[in-house]
Amino acid sequence: MLCIETKDLRKKYASTLAVDGVDLQIESGQVFGFLGPNGAGKSTVIKLLTTLISPSNGKISVLGIDSAKHPLEIRKKIGVVLQQPSYEPTLSAEKSLEKYGMMWNIDKKIRKKRTEELLSAFGLEEIRKKKMDDLSIGQRRRVQVAREFMHDMELLFLDEPTVGLDPAARRKLLDFLREQVKNSGLTIFYTTHVLSEAEYLCDNIAIINNGKIMAVDSPSELKNRFGHEKTIKIHISKVSEELKSKLSKIPECQIKLEPEPTVIINSTKSEIILMNILQILNETETKINDLSAIPTNLEEIFLKVVGDSN
Amino acid sequence: MIQINPIIRLVNRNLTISINPGFIIWQILFPLIYIFVAGFAYTSLIDSVPFGGKNLDYPAFLASGMIGFNIMNSTLISGIIIWNDRRHGMFEQIMSGPFTRTHYILSNIATIGIIGLFSAALITAVGYPVFFDSVEFNIVTIPLIIFGSVVGAILFGSIASIISVKLRSSEGFNVIINTVFLFCAFASTAFYPVQGAPQPLATIFYLNPLSYLVDIIRAGIFGQVTDFVITEMLVLVALAAILFVIATKLLTKLDF
Ligand SMILES: Nc1ncnc2c1ncn2[C@@H]1O[C@H](COP(=O)(O)OP(=O)(O)O)[C@@H](O)[C@H]1O
Ligand SMILES: [Mg+2]
Repeated sequence: MLCIETKDLRKKYASTLAVDGVDLQIESGQVFGFLGPNGAGKSTVIKLLTTLISPSNGKISVLGIDSAKHPLEIRKKIGVVLQQPSYEPTLSAEKSLEKYGMMWNIDKKIRKKRTEELLSAFGLEEIRKKKMDDLSIGQRRRVQVAREFMHDMELLFLDEPTVGLDPAARRKLLDFLREQVKNSGLTIFYTTHVLSEAEYLCDNIAIINNGKIMAVDSPSELKNRFGHEKTIKIHISKVSEELKSKLSKIPECQIKLEPEPTVIINSTKSEIILMNILQILNETETKINDLSAIPTNLEEIFLKVVGDSN
Repeated sequence: MIQINPIIRLVNRNLTISINPGFIIWQILFPLIYIFVAGFAYTSLIDSVPFGGKNLDYPAFLASGMIGFNIMNSTLISGIIIWNDRRHGMFEQIMSGPFTRTHYILSNIATIGIIGLFSAALITAVGYPVFFDSVEFNIVTIPLIIFGSVVGAILFGSIASIISVKLRSSEGFNVIINTVFLFCAFASTAFYPVQGAPQPLATIFYLNPLSYLVDIIRAGIFGQVTDFVITEMLVLVALAAILFVIATKLLTKLDF
């Protein structure tokens, strides 16, 4: 079943087009990563999908429900952890979970049980009696994420949930999320600007920039698709005029003089171009100091996709 | 159809987060001390206060005024809840959950209604020895006190909500809300009879909704429902309705 479907989704703020024609088709039972730099439009898309704001244009269907017609029906079935902190300053961590469960109409017994489970899963036992106001940003964030698991849901939105968490807590959270998806068939819509997280956690990733989706695929497919493009760097001893003019005839290659003379090839056919260049270097009697090929990781794909669209 | 359950759950949460020792002291102890200390201290200055066709002791006058004052004061809660919810991201969180803005607004009104009624009942009970000489309980006493609690809660709750929606900084919010409420408290007939006030002040007293509220409550307690009190009730309802509509509009338009 399609869990989230949008058609030509747009959101315009006074002068910015925060979301610019987004089409999404997300299957349930997976972690869907929404990856993009700051200001790309990730949070705005989450607010649109969770019915907090309404679109300037386009259609949204979440869990098969039309968001313009029945927003409350959608909200009853989803969980949301927004980017900004959200907490009751006067309540303890434990009471925050408890009361949140109450607000979601969860039976008292189940509430108690879940509170204990979540305090333990998120490593919050030691601070359970502390007031939210007195917690650190990372601790508050953990309570905020844990709290969302007090109620049942079919779809969970997480907007950069790991910001402010230390590496251990971050890993613990990602593993917890994976577990939830595996065990309960939950679908997670996960935004982040941290690539390693998306690669570790997500089944599929959409890369968004300037309110537009640049690419959607699984991490391995993304690598496959853009990964043919390799970067090869040849460090050389000197750059002669002859070399310059000969290299200028070869596309997808450039010469850099600083910090040391380097020829850079960036192409899907890097190997073939490399052959040509080696020949030219030979003809012009240019000495090669070093040669390196940089393997493609998701980070480069990301920077390239985002860079191209800018 | 508006569901009741989500509203009850929000009221439960509102009461949990707002009731703390500081608040209870402010709500209960302050009025009591004021009734007994100021009430009796000023008796030597203010001998008796004419009200309707009656003359009241000053302590009786003050204790009954205190009920209205406490209803107004308890509505500060609504402003504080809204303001805190926005500041700490709970407004967005609630609005992305199984609630609507109508649930949110009605739960706030219900919360201050409950706190208002509770403090009105408390002051009535404790103030009773002070004003029981002049009390004329009758069929409209309790309805009038309840009317005052509910309409007053809506009216002042809307004012507090409007201020909390309009102000984001904590200093601004505290200064404005305290100034408005302090002005309402002291430029009213809650503590001081209009008969003794100079003309300009008397006019200001009757530009202030709290004066209407305390008049209505006094009319209930002392059995003096005159035509003027009925006019006051109409004005109070109209004003509460207008302010409620404005507050609701503002809350509905709040952007995320
Ligand atoms: N309420 C708002 N009013 C005006 N502009 C906004 C508002 N919210 C977001 N924007 C703008 O929309 C763009 C996308 O923002 P956002 O969705 O928060 O990005 P991201 O979450 O990817 O960092 C940004 O340029 C931001 O400045
Ligand atoms: Mg964001």
